Amino acid sequence: MSIVTQSYPKTNLRRARSVFYRGFSLLALALVAGPAIWLVAGVVVEAVPHWQWSVLTTLSQGTSGGLENALLGTLVLMAGVLVLAGGVGVLTGIYLSELVRPRRNGAPGGGVLRIAVDVLSGFPSIVLGYVGYVALCVGLHWGYSLLAALIILSLMVVPYIAKSTESALRQVPTNYREGAEALGMPVGYALRRVVIKSALPGIVTGLLIALAVAGGETAPLLYTAGASNNLPTFAFLHQPISYLTYYVWTDYNQPTPQAHYVSYDAALILIVLVLLLLVSARLIVARTQRHAESTR
Amino acid sequence: MSVPYAVGEGYARKVMDEVSKSEVVPLGIDPVLANLDPDQGRPRQVITTEGLNLKFSETTILSGVTMGFDRGTITALIGPTGSGKSTFLRTLNRMNDKVFGFRHEGDVTLDGESIWAPQQDLLTIRRRVGMLFQRPNPFPMSIRDNVVAGAKAHGIARGKQLDVVAEMRLREVGLWDAVKDRLGDSPYRLSGGQQQLLCLARALAVGPEVLLLDEPTSALDPISTEAVESLLREMTPALTLIVVTHNLGQARRISDQTMFFFDGHLVEHGATAELFTSPRERDTDRYVNGLMG
Repeated sequence: MSIVTQSYPKTNLRRARSVFYRGFSLLALALVAGPAIWLVAGVVVEAVPHWQWSVLTTLSQGTSGGLENALLGTLVLMAGVLVLAGGVGVLTGIYLSELVRPRRNGAPGGGVLRIAVDVLSGFPSIVLGYVGYVALCVGLHWGYSLLAALIILSLMVVPYIAKSTESALRQVPTNYREGAEALGMPVGYALRRVVIKSALPGIVTGLLIALAVAGGETAPLLYTAGASNNLPTFAFLHQPISYLTYYVWTDYNQPTPQAHYVSYDAALILIVLVLLLLVSARLIVARTQRHAESTR
Repeated sequence: MSVPYAVGEGYARKVMDEVSKSEVVPLGIDPVLANLDPDQGRPRQVITTEGLNLKFSETTILSGVTMGFDRGTITALIGPTGSGKSTFLRTLNRMNDKVFGFRHEGDVTLDGESIWAPQQDLLTIRRRVGMLFQRPNPFPMSIRDNVVAGAKAHGIARGKQLDVVAEMRLREVGLWDAVKDRLGDSPYRLSGGQQQLLCLARALAVGPEVLLLDEPTSALDPISTEAVESLLREMTPALTLIVVTHNLGQARRISDQTMFFFDGHLVEHGATAELFTSPRERDTDRYVNGLMG
């Protein structure tokens, strides 16, 4: 018995190592969580004391007034991106994961498309925005418009969605695919009813990040959406559209305290919007995954 | 809805006696029952292989397998790991077709028709030749939806009929009483043995004629194994079963025919009792007596 209870010669070293890695992990966590908490707290502290609910129901007058037009504009943009980029991105991901023939050495195929997706994700947003301005707003005479903004925002986030969809699909256990195959399910049917269902958390997460990015983007919108103090009109062309980040950016650079309030209000609304998005996505995922293996 | 195969099971046994005497399933023993028999007028051997060679790229996995599987029997495939028996099994419902580098020479027939013939519909082959895997693999959906997943995909039943299908198949595998109050639950809350029975019910729900089983009980405890084995016995002669197993005792207990694979060859096949008691080949003798494994 004494052999078992005696401390092993290297026990102290192991303990020290364990403490080191534990500490290191905590530090990493602090480095990620700290700025996030600091940012949110900063916005809340600045915005809440002057908060008036009327901000949500009155139109902007530039450096003062409400943010109704900007909130609705951002929501319209997000919805548009969800449809446009979500559709293209998810389908691209499905294609890359399920339909492309693997290369001879067994590596995933779809070379050109894969490279195109990677290249697209590497473009700085300001470049995309300027391309949108030159090609769409000026080149096609669309002017500052909803459609130009949607196309450029979608181009920006399609790679996120495609990548996350692809990797989520690749993580679906082979068991499920083989089971579906052995039952004689058509490929598309198995994909819809079995495979995508179990990849849904990953796909939704990708969509979510894309939406958050789209909602928080400023630079490409300055070039393509323009700015507006009016409500969105659902005209796709020739109508500039308002969005929250515009007021965060321009009003913060104004000297009046009134403008600063508007700026912080816009930031707060944006943060709450993203949080709501996160929560609702979690709920959707929980609902669809109630039969999943991991939740037993 | 199609007639469940359980109808006329007693009759099927009677037919089997006749089958053993003739090449073709005979007609007209009892005209009413004969019309119910889905196998009337079909060849006696439901699946045959002729000079089947299987390769992955340049590596030959299995060569020269010529074999026939009698309708309504259980055939056990035994042999050491890497002997090619699983690859052989997965070829029978074309599960290997999509595997990279897979090639075959020779032929496999289902009811006398090549499974690779251009007029053959892959999905129909897979419906007729079902499969049960080593690890239970229920889908991430409710227990009830699992049972009817295949039946729904093939349009065998819909709406309320699906509930009937679910109950019927769950009763068949003896799972109904255990799950009838939680059909909406996740299948992963069931035990491993129950999950495998659920997968069996799911495979049966599409009305297969042949069931391929790839070590169906190797992940299960002895009691679940016994439950699955007795079920398999009950499913013949209505179904034809081909079972890969590493459990020689299981092969002896449940199978009519046994095939012994070794080193990419079908070394010997024959009636199970014979193959175990008086094997013709030295390798078979050593394997079934535990001198090699």
